[in-house]
Amino acid sequence: MNASAWQMLFDGAWTTLWISAVSIAIGVVAGLIVALIRLARIPVLDQLLVLYISLARATPLVTLALFIFLSAPTLGIGLDRSVAGILALTLNTTAFNAEIWRSGFRNFSRDQREAAMATGMTPWITFRRIMLPQMMITSLPGLINEMSFLIKGSPAIAVIGVVDLTRVTNRISAVTYEPLPPILVACVLYMMIIGALVWLQRRAERRANRLAT
Amino acid sequence: MPETTAVSIRQLSKSFADVEVLRDVNLEVAAGDVVTILGASGSGKSTLLRCINWLEQPDRGSIHIAGERIGLDDSGKRMGAKALARVRAKTGMVFQSFNLWPHLNVLHNITEAPIHVMGKPRDEAETHARELLAKVGLSDKAEAYPGTLSGGQKQRVAIARALAMQPEVMLFDEPTSALDPELVGEVLAVIKDLSAEGYTMVIVTHEMSFARAVSNQVVFLDKGLIVERADPESFFDRPSTTRVQRFLENHG
Repeated sequence: MNASAWQMLFDGAWTTLWISAVSIAIGVVAGLIVALIRLARIPVLDQLLVLYISLARATPLVTLALFIFLSAPTLGIGLDRSVAGILALTLNTTAFNAEIWRSGFRNFSRDQREAAMATGMTPWITFRRIMLPQMMITSLPGLINEMSFLIKGSPAIAVIGVVDLTRVTNRISAVTYEPLPPILVACVLYMMIIGALVWLQRRAERRANRLAT
Repeated sequence: MPETTAVSIRQLSKSFADVEVLRDVNLEVAAGDVVTILGASGSGKSTLLRCINWLEQPDRGSIHIAGERIGLDDSGKRMGAKALARVRAKTGMVFQSFNLWPHLNVLHNITEAPIHVMGKPRDEAETHARELLAKVGLSDKAEAYPGTLSGGQKQRVAIARALAMQPEVMLFDEPTSALDPELVGEVLAVIKDLSAEGYTMVIVTHEMSFARAVSNQVVFLDKGLIVERADPESFFDRPSTTRVQRFLENHG
């Protein structure tokens, strides 16, 4: 592999990283909002969200990415490949995150909620000051787990032409006729990214356990 | 209604499924009163206490806190969350299992509601919190997290947290039942100090000698009915019902 092959690999890794990071950032917040709306049990909206969550969780990422990219023009929307990729990853991860947040709500200590209400806190203040700070810690291991699933699933967006870390290995071997070296490097780069997340997750779990005692 | 009435409970009834846990309960707590509620487990005493700040919703009857109705507005409709929270803030509650917030240190457990409910400035809230910590004998624990405290210390912090909202009435739901025997005394001593200072309190407890020493009205509940109410001397020395006589024999 020459210098330009290395450069291409790092560009691919960067694409994977930033597209995943944007999807994760939106997906964590959007998942919380979906969970909150579902807890409010608003008729119709609730059923729509249930439908969305089951569809998004059941659809393979490749299929979802293709569907978004191909259906956008028929709706008269011109979608950039990266934007379509981010949209697909976000729609997928939001559904999983919503369920993680929702179980965080369901498992939250009733005793602590009662103590908050007894001091005169409204449900909103109770959520913001008492529940959310703890749920961020207790849900983090699950959320990080979902993040690493998302990154490992991200090569799906190559199907709509985004040159990510996996796709770029194809391009390099098309020139060098040596497929093994680039894919090996890609593997190592993925392992480094996921490894960093696993390390974060372990720290998050220790914090969550400290809170539980 | 005169302003000296801290809590006024009228014809309160509540059922869980088919079981009537409270039946037509009437109770007046004057400002400065210390009322203890006694009774066997399952007699409805905790439910009665939890109705006072609407953690349980009664089926019938009314509750006024310092003259203001809680839970329902004057036309009998359910209060909105904000209105309910505002009336609740007039009560302070101490739970059996302390229910401190583990992500906040002791000082912030106490200042959280004054700052975010009353809108008190932080420095003012913290000054008041440190005074309350001194009162419950925990000045050195302001920065500690609840997880590092003993049960007795946790309960004293919980008392300070409830006091910080300057409530019209303090509600104690079996405050020493979850404590190791050697830690009960320190919590009871704090509650006794509060009664000496004139705080209005309603206390559900199993500690008979404490109830006798601290209260000026004892209420005995049996199967959701108030079967006896008296000053502590009459209640403990000359109980008028056989039900209470039996109860007192069993609780020496």
